[in-house]
Amino acid sequence: MGFIMDGLDAEEYDRSYNDRELVKRILRYFRPQLGRMLLVAAMILLTSLVNTGLPIAISSAVDRLQEDSSTETVLLYTAIVIALGCLGWGLNAIRQRASSIAVGNVVLKLREDAFDAVLARDLSFYDSIPSGKIVSRVTSDTQALSQIVTLTMDLMSQILLIFLLIGYLFSVDAQLTLITLALAPFIVITALAFRKIARETVTQSRRILAVVSAHIQETVSGIGVAKTFRQEHTVYDEFLDVNKQSYRINLRTGYVFNAIFPILNLLAGFGTAALVYFGGIRAQDGGLSAGDWFLFIQGLNLFWFPLTSIASFWSQFQLGLAAGERVFALIDAEPRVVQTGNDRLDLVMGEITFENVNFHYNEDEPVLQDFSLTIHAGETLALVGHTGSGKSSLARLIARFYEFQDGHILIDGHDIRSLDLANYREHLGIVTQSPFLFDGTVRDNIRYGSPNATDDEVLAVAQSVGSGDWLQALPNGLDTQVGERGGGLSMGQRQLVALARVLLQNPSIFIMDEATASIDPLTETLIQEGLDTLTARRTSVVIAHRLSTVREADRIIVLREGRIIEEGDHDSLLRQGGHYAELYNTYFRHQSLEYIENAHKLGTQELRQLGIA
Amino acid sequence: MNDQRHPSSPAAKSEFTVQDAYAYDQRGPRRWIVSHVLRYKWLLIGSLVFSIIDFMAYSQSPVLIGRAAEEIMTPTGGDMLLRISLSVLGVLILSSFAFLGGSLLIETIAQRLERDARQELYVSLLGKSQTFHDRQRVGDIMARATDDVRQLNGMISPGARFIYETVIGIMVPLFYIALIKLELLLVPTVFLTSYVIAVRRYTRRLNPVMRNQREQFGTMNAGLEETISGIEIVKASVQEAFEQTRFRRNARLFRDYFVQQGQIEARYLPLLLYGIALGMIFLHSMVLYDAGRLSIPDIIAVMGLMGILRFPTFISIFSFSLVQLGIASAERILHIVTAQTELDENAGGYSRQIEGDIVFDNVTFRYDDDGQNIVLQDVSFRIRPGQTVAVVGQTGSGKSTLTQLINRTYDVTEGRILIDGVDVREWDLDVLRSQISKIEQDVFLFSRTLAENIAFGAPHTPQEQIEHAAREAQAHDFILTFNEGYQTKVGERGVTLSGGQRQRIALARAFLSDPRILILDDSTSAIDSATEDQIQKAIRRAQEGRTTLLITHRLSQIRWADLILVLDQGQLVAAGTHDALLRTSPNYRRIFARYDVDLPPLEPAPDLKLAAQLT
Repeated sequence: MGFIMDGLDAEEYDRSYNDRELVKRILRYFRPQLGRMLLVAAMILLTSLVNTGLPIAISSAVDRLQEDSSTETVLLYTAIVIALGCLGWGLNAIRQRASSIAVGNVVLKLREDAFDAVLARDLSFYDSIPSGKIVSRVTSDTQALSQIVTLTMDLMSQILLIFLLIGYLFSVDAQLTLITLALAPFIVITALAFRKIARETVTQSRRILAVVSAHIQETVSGIGVAKTFRQEHTVYDEFLDVNKQSYRINLRTGYVFNAIFPILNLLAGFGTAALVYFGGIRAQDGGLSAGDWFLFIQGLNLFWFPLTSIASFWSQFQLGLAAGERVFALIDAEPRVVQTGNDRLDLVMGEITFENVNFHYNEDEPVLQDFSLTIHAGETLALVGHTGSGKSSLARLIARFYEFQDGHILIDGHDIRSLDLANYREHLGIVTQSPFLFDGTVRDNIRYGSPNATDDEVLAVAQSVGSGDWLQALPNGLDTQVGERGGGLSMGQRQLVALARVLLQNPSIFIMDEATASIDPLTETLIQEGLDTLTARRTSVVIAHRLSTVREADRIIVLREGRIIEEGDHDSLLRQGGHYAELYNTYFRHQSLEYIENAHKLGTQELRQLGIA
Repeated sequence: MNDQRHPSSPAAKSEFTVQDAYAYDQRGPRRWIVSHVLRYKWLLIGSLVFSIIDFMAYSQSPVLIGRAAEEIMTPTGGDMLLRISLSVLGVLILSSFAFLGGSLLIETIAQRLERDARQELYVSLLGKSQTFHDRQRVGDIMARATDDVRQLNGMISPGARFIYETVIGIMVPLFYIALIKLELLLVPTVFLTSYVIAVRRYTRRLNPVMRNQREQFGTMNAGLEETISGIEIVKASVQEAFEQTRFRRNARLFRDYFVQQGQIEARYLPLLLYGIALGMIFLHSMVLYDAGRLSIPDIIAVMGLMGILRFPTFISIFSFSLVQLGIASAERILHIVTAQTELDENAGGYSRQIEGDIVFDNVTFRYDDDGQNIVLQDVSFRIRPGQTVAVVGQTGSGKSTLTQLINRTYDVTEGRILIDGVDVREWDLDVLRSQISKIEQDVFLFSRTLAENIAFGAPHTPQEQIEHAAREAQAHDFILTFNEGYQTKVGERGVTLSGGQRQRIALARAFLSDPRILILDDSTSAIDSATEDQIQKAIRRAQEGRTTLLITHRLSQIRWADLILVLDQGQLVAAGTHDALLRTSPNYRRIFARYDVDLPPLEPAPDLKLAAQLT
């Protein structure tokens, strides 16, 4: 029923694969299903034959009955009609069954391949494509792609039906067939014109829906403000306008959609009347039997229905190809991080050396230039600098999340590119800026990187972070559900879980990007205490946002535009009065005890100026 | 749903009403939909009439074709054939126009229903209390105002339309078959009965599979989304294999449901029944023909009429699920519309200017009455007029709830809260709330200009006053950095403000409205010291001359508060000034231990309840 409207609201995409390449690629996925697809094709052919046979049987019966209405004839025709009906049903059932298995398997394979390809990508890939788009490529686009095949099969069966029917009709009466055919262009043109108009109205409807949503979203979010200030009437008047406009546009869209079937029926009406008349005249002349005349009239109805679906095929097919392109682009992308060897390290001391490293995400924006640095085993290193100074990139290169362009990175003297990546990363522990938790319990999340740890080990680790005080605040302790993305926990609690997770992994190298989010002072204290535990006895690289972190670090590296411009400890750097002092005044000053003690005066002076206090 | 519980009482307490509102029956989803549709009963009647004309005309065509067949076999001469053909054309044109007319009328009802339902929902939303909105997720309301009202639309057109077309589209052809020969109704009757049974069996088997498939698709998507969002952790923890197994399991399960659906659909029995029915009625007609009781043209007419049955019988499955979805949507919308506002307005209650003295007297609060979910337990303290109070505690310790009890967003479960010595429940709600201003952590700004946002609620405030408020809130300077200054638009098509900037706009708003009690959820972060300076100044200014409660993470605010309340899992574990807490609270000392403060010797904590009486 919806065929003529299918695919109207879909976006159009640019593509860069050529169609033939794409079709070939799709067919390759169907090769393992060859047997089933052949079965499906055979069923389509047979179903078309059966469906053409039914009206022919009825019309020939009409003719035969006039001369011979014996019981045998009657039963024969009844048997034929029923047999054709049952056969059509059976063949269709076999076809649908086979094609759903084939399509299901192909989609599964496509999804598996797409997912594996996604997992193999390095982080530059994830930076460039939002997660929602990746998800839709793996789940929705794969489905859309496979529908091309279903769609094509349907089209084939429709066209086959039309050709068989027309072929037979031609053999009966060419002139009447031409009358029937004359209707075809009108139907196709009407269907195409309708799609063009419908596409426009649908676009408008979609836009107005977005406007309505935006209006309601805003007023509902801000309803507290509207209420406090008694502005309900203003808001309501605005809503009425938007709602009225939405009604007008949707009504027009609705009218367009409702007009198409009556119009097609009208066209078919002209065709039917023409066949009744011209066919009737030929039948009266004896050039045509009454049964055949009736066949033409039935044939018309069999005929116009598939025609309208052909009109919508091409744009649907294009949409499927576009989906295919997105899926294959995902599968074909080359990972940029490539290992040259697979050396395994059983024990990592944690010495990290950067030798003349050049690194950029885009060619015209260098991040690290000729960068050299040695981080000693067991050292706690704090990285400070403005946004974009290269702090995070440095940390992520150590994790081998990105490929660098020149120079070397050595881990205990081994080239990072020569290492077995999985083995190497087992020696790494990472806490990201807004720690990501997986839906599940706190316990599951602590255990995530060390699936074989026992409950006792998890508990011991949790208790060693901030002396375990944070566990009491969790409603069910370690069995507390963290919710989607850890949303059930506060940012501070998520940090604590992430610290415990890393502590359980017991890595040789610890990398942390400190949270910039504000955390209540009690939790903050627990995190700092947990951080003390973690940074002891292992190489630690911390992108610092907390004053206490920089103060406790063995060494501070001050970065600006991808270069080290100062290094040393907190007190000596502050005394130098250079870039670090500037950074201190920008980011850390308000965290100092001195500031806390004097903050009160800050406002008071202002008030005095205003003559209030 | 609990719609049935309050018969015929449309949302009794409402903070907003519209004068000429049409009264719908809100006693249940079905009645509600019916009352909406009956508002346009003439359109509905018109649509039904058109539909009957449509099918009567359309069914005339096989009858006329039968007549034409008669004319062919036994010509009467003249222009009889032409006249019949023109009649065929005539009835088909009539049928098409009636079809069009009926469709447009029912479509109009459907679109109006969408419009009216959304409007009714919206009015009720405006009428709901803040308590209601605090508990409702915006996303949920959005879904009801957009998806659910659309579903109502689809339920009428094509949903309801298909249903009555099915009935008319079956009855009319059967009527004509009966006119030809009454006994020919035998096969169609048997067919329709078996058809109904078969369809019911079919949907009963298909529905759970479809539901599983939809849910599995959601599970697969959510799992994938999670893996991708957490990819850094996945890779860092070397858990790619685990994630791969998980995804494959989900994808395979989805494939199984997909195939299952295909197999159920393949065995769609009604199609087979129709094929058999066609054969049987053909047999019946031929038997009657043999007995000389039916002519060939009659057979042609009967077969043509049977052809008409095909369409209505097959669209009906589709339409029943549409109607079911529509009723479910109506239920969700009504649930909101009829939800009661729990707090009473207490109009005419205690009413005077607030001094700002706040007393919590053994306050306990829990969300439901079954004793679970205790948010605050036995909390007592006193705030003097003009004092600044810092509320400190971990997430979930009850900080926000504590402040929400003051302006009666919620009412206490046990104990009482006094403002200027009067229980908040005795205050006139409007008077109380208008003197208490609350600045949320996530400040909401409308998509309007900055000036309009500051002066929201007082549209005709002179520019000088707006600027004065902005200066006091330390917002003036950053506002002027925008090209259009105070006329800068905020939001989707305008500038995006940082958390610190939004907070200062909200403070400016508060300076204009000059509340007696200011509650400031200041849990946002300022990562640079310059912004921090500005916020410090603005808050310091806001504290002047009013009672101020700060939910804050800023040690500099806590340090200088007149009273610090430390909450832990709903209990007040410490209260006092900075110096007092440094002496008595181990937790508080722990915070400052990291700052190399010379800590005084730890003293035993005083009895908090006693302290509440004394201060």
